Amino acid sequence: MPKRTDIHTILVIGSGPIVIGQGCEFDYSGTQAIKALRREGYRVVLVNSNPATIMTDPELADATYVEPLTPEILEQIIVHERPDALLPTVDGQTGLNLAVELAARGVLARYGVQLIGASLNAVHLAEDRLLFKEAMQRAGLDVPRSGLAGSIEEALEIAGEIDRYPVLIRPSFTLGGAGGAIAFDAGDLEEKVRFGLRESPVHTVLIEESVLGWKEFELEVMRDRNDNFVVVCSIENLDPMGVHTGDSITVAPAQTLTDKEYQRLRDQARTVMSTVGVETGGANVQFAVNPADGRVVVVEMNPRVSRSSALASKATGFPIAKIAALLAVGYTLDEIPNDITKVTAAAFEPSIDYVVVKIPRWAFEKFPSVDPTLGPQMKSVGEVMAIGRTFKEALQKGIRSLEIGTPLLSPPLAGEGLGERLKHLLAIPTHQRLFALHAALTAGWDQPEICRLTGFDPWFVAQVSQLVALERELAGYSLASFIAGRVIAGRWPGRRPLGSRARGPAAPPGGRHPSHLPSGGHVRR
Amino acid sequence: MDTCAAEFGVDTPYLYSSYETESEAAPTDRRKVMILGSGPNRIGQGIEFDYCCVQACWALQDLGYETIMVNCNPETVSTDYDTSDRLYFEPLTLEDVLDIYEAEQPAGVIVQFGGQTPLNLTKPLQAAGVPIWGTAPDAIDLAEDRGRFGALLAELDIPQPANGIAANLAEARQIARQIGYPVLVRPSYVLGGRAMAICYDEAMLESYVAEAVAAAEGRGLLIDQYIEDAFEVDVDAVADGRQVIIGGVMQHIEEAGVHSGDSACVLPPYKISYYHLNTIHEYVRQLGLAPGVRGLMNVQFAIKDDIAYVLEVNPRASRTVPFVSKATGLSLARVAAQIMAGKTLAELGIDTEPKIDGFFVKEAVLPFKKLPGAINTLGPEMRSTGEVMGHAAHFGHAFAKAEMAAGTALPLEGAVLISVNDFDKGSASKIARDFHRMGFQLLATRGTARFLAHAGLPVQAVNKVSQGSPHVIDYVRRGELALIVNTPLGRDAYSDGVALRREAIRYNVPLLTTLSAASAAVAGIRALRQSELKVRSLQEHFGRGTLRTSALESRL
Repeated sequence: MPKRTDIHTILVIGSGPIVIGQGCEFDYSGTQAIKALRREGYRVVLVNSNPATIMTDPELADATYVEPLTPEILEQIIVHERPDALLPTVDGQTGLNLAVELAARGVLARYGVQLIGASLNAVHLAEDRLLFKEAMQRAGLDVPRSGLAGSIEEALEIAGEIDRYPVLIRPSFTLGGAGGAIAFDAGDLEEKVRFGLRESPVHTVLIEESVLGWKEFELEVMRDRNDNFVVVCSIENLDPMGVHTGDSITVAPAQTLTDKEYQRLRDQARTVMSTVGVETGGANVQFAVNPADGRVVVVEMNPRVSRSSALASKATGFPIAKIAALLAVGYTLDEIPNDITKVTAAAFEPSIDYVVVKIPRWAFEKFPSVDPTLGPQMKSVGEVMAIGRTFKEALQKGIRSLEIGTPLLSPPLAGEGLGERLKHLLAIPTHQRLFALHAALTAGWDQPEICRLTGFDPWFVAQVSQLVALERELAGYSLASFIAGRVIAGRWPGRRPLGSRARGPAAPPGGRHPSHLPSGGHVRR
Repeated sequence: MDTCAAEFGVDTPYLYSSYETESEAAPTDRRKVMILGSGPNRIGQGIEFDYCCVQACWALQDLGYETIMVNCNPETVSTDYDTSDRLYFEPLTLEDVLDIYEAEQPAGVIVQFGGQTPLNLTKPLQAAGVPIWGTAPDAIDLAEDRGRFGALLAELDIPQPANGIAANLAEARQIARQIGYPVLVRPSYVLGGRAMAICYDEAMLESYVAEAVAAAEGRGLLIDQYIEDAFEVDVDAVADGRQVIIGGVMQHIEEAGVHSGDSACVLPPYKISYYHLNTIHEYVRQLGLAPGVRGLMNVQFAIKDDIAYVLEVNPRASRTVPFVSKATGLSLARVAAQIMAGKTLAELGIDTEPKIDGFFVKEAVLPFKKLPGAINTLGPEMRSTGEVMGHAAHFGHAFAKAEMAAGTALPLEGAVLISVNDFDKGSASKIARDFHRMGFQLLATRGTARFLAHAGLPVQAVNKVSQGSPHVIDYVRRGELALIVNTPLGRDAYSDGVALRREAIRYNVPLLTTLSAASAAVAGIRALRQSELKVRSLQEHFGRGTLRTSALESRL
């Protein structure tokens, strides 16, 4: 289908200031979408209050408003610019919330602005946790047991039905999970629900069965109006459920799924897309898998470009925001060429012959009084992505990328009572857990015990233990032999004579080779 | 990375390194330049530097260079597959950068745009024989080395706060005594004011030193005279070795002592005399020419009485470059990149400071709400994660827009709570009078209330938390306050004020922690009551044809 010629001017709403939970990934995705729309000849009007962004460079959009992101100001801009359409899915939760608000106030109808790239129904269904849960159940998918509470009494009642603490408290419609918490008993629940109710703009919170400790997976998917569907990338969270995905170390592609399990998630993601009613565009679908019995539950889906989709784009070379913009103006996946290969189309799923690791960057050193425990409310301020031939290589490159003063997995974690401290650091997620894992393995701790404390999949623990073994081996060589070669420990110098530069023939040690993702769905025209 | 696991031959993959038997990088033989990015976002080093890297990349492409971007931050535009000609998704360490340099053999490497991360690599890269484009590494060192920098200022006869470097506590004590308290202390070579503090007496200095020496990584502690009650000014400029052009002079709305990244600021300055502006211009010119800056520079001043003290000179992209560029329509990073590639300001036709039409206010956005338990006053250590801009013909409207964009819109009516420290009580009565005249109801904690009543203002006294219910926090929780002015005592961060400010943040009540911000808020509210906010696109503001555009449009 050719692009739409009945619309000329498209309004894009940016995500405003960088805050924890909504970072510069939306400058990236918005910029990409604006470029794609202009290339297609559309006139683009952009509103974003953040002057530090690239998208507000006056060259990028045709009209750039660096103005407050409020419904009143947006209405003024709509009156002035008279856009034909509003694309709310390429720029984060702020833009999407404002689009919903403008629709609810009748502004869009009054000035004849169409929403493209998303339908209000789909947005509503995806964001209202209760409706979402019911829809998933109707479609035959499993979800955590839960209920919506508008008061503390209701919250206690729902927790009673779930009959097992801890339970999660998730305020409706907040950014980055703001106000989210885990309650360990009824008293705890009361206090946290009180805060959550205030945080939620609609004053409701979801009380949910805890899937804490379950394995967490995300699928970045896209769908077009002909029901073509692709999985851009699968992402596995090293940190099990309970830690916000923005605060989790994540790996792409998923490393610990069998092909059969992966295909199951893929089918479910497709069902989620069609059930929610995302006709065109990208979405992020999150799953939790119980490591004990393999039970899979759908946790949530974001019918828009997200932090994870930015990562998926960078991890695969598949520009999700650009494709989402083009789908929104009428193209289908098979009509959009892949800029990198030039010979394939966006209907081709990316194949990955490497491993990508994302590690969050926290700023607790700036906030010494803040509790560094990681939970459902995101606390990191940035992230790095590293690419390697193996998980081990990517992990170590990631640590190096963080610029936290250690090129290795082993910053000083020593001293009195290390054993007890390690146990604590492994069991309670903080920014130090990865380093605690390394320290515990170095101290000879039992791998199953570490898995039990952390909830990490045994495969990841085994990988890090291989690194520890390697470090031990390398420690047998003199320091001088390394310095002479500009080697940074953690890169495997191969079986070449030590002391020469760490270049050339060397394979990374051990390590499972990443499996290729199955490529290509059937294209329907 | 080619999306297809090498199933097809591709033109524009991006790259990563590994220890393997052959390199698949296949460098071209084009003229090329390498730009080092800023790594992971953190407080003090964020999206602003990505903006600068991308602007530089586009500028150099327009000059016919192949651009090579090195960065490891997946959230950025600089790591988009079609921003640079060649993208290396790699850590920004010396070894990784040198590996790429050796594979690609670019004509030069640019370290000015990515913040402190690439700047820290300047010396070792130069030592490895890598040509650094723009300001010479020695000039960067000159600006960062306190001793050399002090000597330069003395030679140019430019005032700076009295200062010294201490390697240990004994030295720190001695220097602080010589300078006189209060002093500003911080580790050298740290961006974002990390571990920076104002010490009012020796006891504070002592408790600080233990912690800070670790952050200084053996490079020493900087101790400066802290100039209280000063106006702070930030200047972004660009220089080519012959000429220095100022991009913008920004006046901070918070007084000196609040980190420049956390302070609201206004362009052009609204409270600085021509005399001081002229002095600032002259100092910036000299500070750009003397060390031979080629590219961007940022200079910070504190103005007190008749003296403009130079606080800092940074010969690199600053956090405010994108803000200034949006306000003036002149992309400073783009100009700087062209200079680094050998152009002169004269050749680029840039001979005067851009004129500014109206007022542009930048406001910082702080993460306290997301990080419960954080100390929530502004100070010399930067803690904001983001920023917004408001622009309008009048300062009041611009400030009101910036506050609205930051999520704390100024109220038009209601009750204002004023609770200020003893130093501020005198000035607070003027602000209270302004609120009263605009029809706001005045509430104040007892000490402040007595003072305001004495000044003849109708004010209702309210208990502090320690004085029992109903107290200030009850008022916040009941939603009875439209705005709070609370200036904490510098030396007592754990007073009653902390709980009040925490609740204000939780309940989204506009909170002003300095009197200069409070008087800006008065101007904003007054403007809002006089006329409604208007919007204008940057293109309308500047007039389409006047923007210096790159070839970006042709690349679309």
